[in-house]
Amino acid sequence: MAARETNPNFMNGVPELLILRLLQQEEMYGYEIVQAIRGRTGAVIAIGEGAVYPVLHGLEREGALSSSRKTVNGRSRIYYSVTRTGSSRLADLAEAWTHLAAAIQTILTGGQHGEAIQRTS
Amino acid sequence: MAKPFSELRERLLRAGVAPRHVRRYLTELADHWADLTAEEERAGRSRADAESAALVRLGRMDDLARAMIEQRRFQSWCVRAPWAVFGLAPLFLLAAAYLVACLILWSGWNIFLPGTDSPFVRIGGFAILYFDVGRLLFYSAPFLVGWGIGYVAARQRLKAVWPMAGLALIAWMGATAQIQASRRAVPGGLGHIRMNFFTLAPSSQAISEGLLRALAILSLSALPYLLWRFKRARSVSA
Repeated sequence: MAARETNPNFMNGVPELLILRLLQQEEMYGYEIVQAIRGRTGAVIAIGEGAVYPVLHGLEREGALSSSRKTVNGRSRIYYSVTRTGSSRLADLAEAWTHLAAAIQTILTGGQHGEAIQRTS
Repeated sequence: MAKPFSELRERLLRAGVAPRHVRRYLTELADHWADLTAEEERAGRSRADAESAALVRLGRMDDLARAMIEQRRFQSWCVRAPWAVFGLAPLFLLAAAYLVACLILWSGWNIFLPGTDSPFVRIGGFAILYFDVGRLLFYSAPFLVGWGIGYVAARQRLKAVWPMAGLALIAWMGATAQIQASRRAVPGGLGHIRMNFFTLAPSSQAISEGLLRALAILSLSALPYLLWRFKRARSVSA
């Protein structure tokens, strides 16, 4: 069976942003997080599902997330939720990403930066 | 544990990821795999197909391993600072064990032998048991610390260099440890207990006895670790 394509390197930082955003709304465990990302982005963003855990563990180690073990339907799950540090980190990441997306959009729609490129060519 | 996760565990441990991080990662991956398998089965796949499809969705083993290995913060202290884990920490532990043994000796001396100049005299009754606790700790501490070194090294799948260096250090400290006690050494009759390490009396008999003791401690404390390595080498080559 062929491996599913995942997004390349420019996705660095995006999993953190999405995870923090999703967990700010409600606590979830790993499988739920991946399904939520897939569902809410219309499967446009596809990360290797197992690769979500190093991101979660890293955020937890930085103090951005906290985790707790809960038993649901007879199975033990590790639920993650955002801490105050995580909320602040989310705000920073969201702001940086919004600026980046706006800059790219400006070029794509031929705005200020696009005109400059056209003038020099 | 499923075979792909066993291989992943070995890879992560050999790459220096701390065992507690590996354990948690694999637990969550196994749970995730079970959820994905159930989801694929609900979509109409057979159990075997569902499991392999779930494994593909989970990600390639290379990617799963790299995601953890690339993050230095998940690395074990055995890999980050082996000199501290296999050099300093065992020395401090052994010194702490000897300190406790000395405290037992000193308290027993004051409780059971208040009039004697040395605690190393003939005793009887409950005092034997009390002093034997300290004696047991004194003689067993190098072995306990040595076995601890072997356990930590095996758990992290480390190469033998640092653990063996630590074992040799502990064996030498254990072999040269000597206790001296005298009540007259300090005024007031409180008693004075002193320990010597790492040095031997400058006589050929003392040196050969010290070396023999060190060799005996090294052999016995390293034995479980060496057996584990031997067994592991055989299972890998089989």
